[in-house]
Amino acid sequence: MSTLEIAALVFALLTVLLAGGVWIAISMGIAAWFALGLFTSSPPQVNLFQAFWGSSASWTIAALPLFVWMGEILYRTRLSEEMFEGLSPWLQWLPGRLMHVNIFGCGIFAAVSGSSSATCATIAKVALPELKRRGYDEKMCLGSLCGAGTLGLLIPPSIVMIVYAIAAEVSILKMFLAGVLPGLLLVALFSGAIAIWALLHPDRTPREVQRFSFRERLRRSRNLFPCLALIAFVMGSMFTGWATATEAASFGVLGALAIAGWSGGLTRESFWASLMGATRLSCMILFILGGAAFLSSAMAFTGIPKALAEWVASLGVSRFELIAVLALVYLLLGTALDGISMIVLTTSVVLPMVEAAGFDLVWFGIFIVILVEIAELTPPLGFNLFVLQTMSGRDSNYVALAALPFFLLMVVALVLLVAFPELATWLPELVIRKTAA
Amino acid sequence: MRRFLDRLYAASGALAALCLASIAAVMLAQAFLREAGRLLRGADDIVAWLCAAAAFLALGHTFRKGELVRVGLLIERLSPRARHAAEIVALAIALVFAGFMVWAVLAFVYDSFRFNEVSQGLIRIPIWIPQASVAVGVTIFFVAVLDEFVVVLRRGKPAYQVAEDERRAAQDFTETV
Repeated sequence: MSTLEIAALVFALLTVLLAGGVWIAISMGIAAWFALGLFTSSPPQVNLFQAFWGSSASWTIAALPLFVWMGEILYRTRLSEEMFEGLSPWLQWLPGRLMHVNIFGCGIFAAVSGSSSATCATIAKVALPELKRRGYDEKMCLGSLCGAGTLGLLIPPSIVMIVYAIAAEVSILKMFLAGVLPGLLLVALFSGAIAIWALLHPDRTPREVQRFSFRERLRRSRNLFPCLALIAFVMGSMFTGWATATEAASFGVLGALAIAGWSGGLTRESFWASLMGATRLSCMILFILGGAAFLSSAMAFTGIPKALAEWVASLGVSRFELIAVLALVYLLLGTALDGISMIVLTTSVVLPMVEAAGFDLVWFGIFIVILVEIAELTPPLGFNLFVLQTMSGRDSNYVALAALPFFLLMVVALVLLVAFPELATWLPELVIRKTAA
Repeated sequence: MRRFLDRLYAASGALAALCLASIAAVMLAQAFLREAGRLLRGADDIVAWLCAAAAFLALGHTFRKGELVRVGLLIERLSPRARHAAEIVALAIALVFAGFMVWAVLAFVYDSFRFNEVSQGLIRIPIWIPQASVAVGVTIFFVAVLDEFVVVLRRGKPAYQVAEDERRAAQDFTETV
């Protein structure tokens, strides 16, 4: 059997298992077991242990559970209310007024949380009923929350980026830095779109404007300062090279506990709930990473990634055709798989191709993360759609249609990223040159 | 039996959570000691082992809470009868793989023990000690899968589905990123 035929067989097995609802890590493990046992002389049981042990017994990966925990703690605080109260006096002057709270609230929460659904749910919890009560357009409100919630994945810290960094063997720090500018670009695109929409439809934004003095504005946003200080400290310590990502994550946990304690939201129950939630989410991700490492080792033994990369190279497609096809594949995968599974399932075969075509792996990481974000907005499985559907009581079509303009804006961001790769690569290079000098 | 098993999953989950909290504590201690000009020897090794322990000890608990991801796209659209059959098949496959994992892990850790393998880093202890967390975690996971398999065979509703329904009702969206 040729390597490509083996590849097709393994791929078919994996697809059947996944479609049949077998847990993703287990599906990957079985495909690896099958490939190693039948087509190589390498003992599957030894590879299994080394893959699962090696992928979780690692000091680098420890940043993941800690960042997850930090987000879980803050998710259970009053940050949601404080974000609305603190941001609204500053954003009134923009066309679209309080609608921008959705974007900036998500942008700020994304800087303490690495999760899209948590970001979306946290900001929506207060902004959705408040904006509705004041007569803002519900569709625009749902769409903007849906789109801006995904910033949780792009603005560091980001769980998906850590997973990609581990899978692609690039530095977590570089990925985080690379996400900053594309994240700000998305904030600008989303906010710009709201402003333009508000100017075109002046009747759909309520007129009521409360005037606040500067002092009053500061007083209303005082509860946000600890959170902003925490963001500055965690990012600052990481990006200046003073702390590693894992250390910065532990500062994040300490700071999040301090904020929760200070705002009175830290009870024994909420502490325990945040810790158990973080444990389960981390366990789920690390189990998938273990399965993926097992599958990757099986792939390496069978030579499938190399054969596929050579096959793709022999087709003579241009770099941009390759990227366009990959984008379509990920859009399609995103309708059935969650972001993390999407990344770990594909990296072992896709990265050799991408690298052979001369793309930077950090840049490609940002490209995949934006595609994962887009997947959060595509039916039937987009999780942000689901979050907002549950919170607003609207049906799935309504929310998906509301999110459509923001889906398109993210495609625009993706095209901009391909046209100007510096968006992702400039900041990491600058910072790393600075710290090296 | 039911009470014993539920306590087993809860206890191993809680132990995993303690490991996670300890990672934060060790990292903080390391950072503060470094500022004070002292070195916490072997902190990196301890963190790595705690991370593995946190991941594997929580497996059974996480599985029962329905937080191990799977593709629900097709099976959620099946009729109740077909869904029941699909769950049996999925659990049977999971059971086979979990069994293979238990065997592979126990064999490997036993070899580490038998040949007196010592860890590579700054802390030199027999490597089977930290690796034992994987063996224990995977074994509990196997028991949890077997438990669900028996429940579903007896036409019961699996705990992972019950937990998921409860999360939906409570509007809890923290099980995914």
